[in-house]
Amino acid sequence: MNRLLLLSIVLLAAVPQILLGAIGCTLSNPSEDLKYLYPEMTTFKEELIEFPKLKDGAALFQGLRARLGSDLDPIYETYETAYTVYSVFKGSVRIGVVHGVNVPGKGGVIQVFLATDPQTAEIKSFFFQRLESPAARQLRSKEFRAQFTGLTLADFYKHDYYAVADPGAKADKVAAVRPPALDPAGRPDYVAALRGLRKNLILLDYFVYGRRFEPYFDRAQQAAHKTKD
Amino acid sequence: MTALGGAPSPEMATWRGPEPMLSIAIALSIALLTAQCASAQTGPPQGDKTPNDPFAGVAPATPSPETAQEPQVSWLHKFLNDNFGFRKEILSEFDTNADGSGASRQSLGFELQKKFSTATSTIAGFDFQGRLVRRDGYNAVPNDMEGAGHQGWTFEYHNLYLDLYNIFNPLLGADERAASVGRFNFRIGQSYVPFGLSLQTDTHGTLLQLSNGNNFGFDEGWSAGFWGAINKDLNYDASYLVGSGCGLKWRGQGGLGALRVSLSDKYSSQYGIEGGLSLIGGERLAMPMAESDGADPAAAPLPLRTQRIGIDGRYRHTAPKGLLTFTTELSGGRDASNPVVTELHQAEYLHGSRRWGVAAQVRRFFQESRGTNLSVIGELTWYFRNDVANSNAHWIKLNLERQLQNAVAPPHTIVTLQYYFYL
Repeated sequence: MNRLLLLSIVLLAAVPQILLGAIGCTLSNPSEDLKYLYPEMTTFKEELIEFPKLKDGAALFQGLRARLGSDLDPIYETYETAYTVYSVFKGSVRIGVVHGVNVPGKGGVIQVFLATDPQTAEIKSFFFQRLESPAARQLRSKEFRAQFTGLTLADFYKHDYYAVADPGAKADKVAAVRPPALDPAGRPDYVAALRGLRKNLILLDYFVYGRRFEPYFDRAQQAAHKTKD
Repeated sequence: MTALGGAPSPEMATWRGPEPMLSIAIALSIALLTAQCASAQTGPPQGDKTPNDPFAGVAPATPSPETAQEPQVSWLHKFLNDNFGFRKEILSEFDTNADGSGASRQSLGFELQKKFSTATSTIAGFDFQGRLVRRDGYNAVPNDMEGAGHQGWTFEYHNLYLDLYNIFNPLLGADERAASVGRFNFRIGQSYVPFGLSLQTDTHGTLLQLSNGNNFGFDEGWSAGFWGAINKDLNYDASYLVGSGCGLKWRGQGGLGALRVSLSDKYSSQYGIEGGLSLIGGERLAMPMAESDGADPAAAPLPLRTQRIGIDGRYRHTAPKGLLTFTTELSGGRDASNPVVTELHQAEYLHGSRRWGVAAQVRRFFQESRGTNLSVIGELTWYFRNDVANSNAHWIKLNLERQLQNAVAPPHTIVTLQYYFYL
């Protein structure tokens, strides 16, 4: 008994106190979910993507924080986190791209999925797979989610500039999104959901769209610096 | 003429047309305007054109030919990089009962996952999970029901299966393929028994287990069968099981037929509800699951006629600063002619940080010829990592099981300390 106790203590002491981890986000039932999003689909293809396996993966990961505008979570958003991109086909034509991310919410995990247009990268559909939140019902409402249809990552980068330099600008499509009626307890999860949506778009721009929205990020940065000066 | 075909108005009647210079200016303006419109329609998307808009003239970048073309790589490189996962596992467990009878279980393991795709479709998936285990001593803890007969060094494999997705696609036309996406997938190999919540729960590393270990003597086994969606509300799993538990053995048993109908993923996603109805029947090998009941672990397992029907459910709900999950599995049936009833109820709280959690479980197994095993289990977990999909886990668990009834031996209290790492 004493030997067991000693071994247990040694084992516990040997465990590092802080270890960084990685969290992936996949559809629980891809066939079912993709069919719901694209009723005309005939097949789909999964692609596992990890930063360490990407060309310039370390640099891309470093750039994620700047594009997101907030620190990365040490549990949910690590370099090793694996991502799954679903490409949806009708015959041989790719008709959709679906991708999910995890973000930490107040009550637990929030899984934010986007279905995007393969050509334009516009959001076709935005939905939650898991949403452990007191504001779950409001955030899941169709009316709230539908406001994001047609937006691209460029709109989010533009929003960064307009929010500071020209609040209320008509060109700021993200500012035009009306949040659902939330009590204060649900507000942090609304912010987390928007952060997840933006992170998802940034990663899609990295993984699928050849970083086509980088010029908007660069211009937003330049404009913001100019405004400060 | 007016649009209505009436007489011209006095202003129109006296109008002589513009001066020559003014005519030229108007014509030039129209030409310039037309040219600008044509350019805007055929050129790349432009930024907003308000006077001070910093995004005016910004257009999406086009990928360079270098990034647009995939470099030539060897098939081995492609195999090991495309949809390939290799994870390492360390499990270290020490347990003791109130009499001071201690046991140790140490293992090093791995999991290999690979998916195969064509240009437009993921067609197959493969999973192999193995462990090299060292056991010294034995207590009947819930996550090692088969351990009594495996003292010393053993190599064990848990998952070893091949999935073929949308297996009838090669035989179908485009419309039929579209109509049957996700309906007919085929699995062959060793995986979880499709009874209860087992298929929807990864208990590979956890101390708390579901009912199948008690119910059948194994929670994984060799099988072949179909799985997929019935409609948008229901999924199915229909399998033939060899009935020998971990490892493929034929000792005269006829095997088991199993059918499970469960709620589709949308209920879990939208309402936090999972659930299903399971049926299983046929012959299995009576494994030495009953070591704690006094059976001889060295005895050869024999075919046993088995019938079960079960219902199960799980409900997740947000709680203050975290998540509560309630799980229930109920089943009844017969082993040979002996009625069997199992019950399992579990409640878990996971803090919103996913750093720590507590759980309690009550499990009861009644068989008319043997009596009742009834246990209450409490567990405390500290997570270093805690992936939602269990693809990345690292924790320490302290588990206390109090046996309230034991069919053949005095009830014990067992304390277990577990360290687990999976990445």
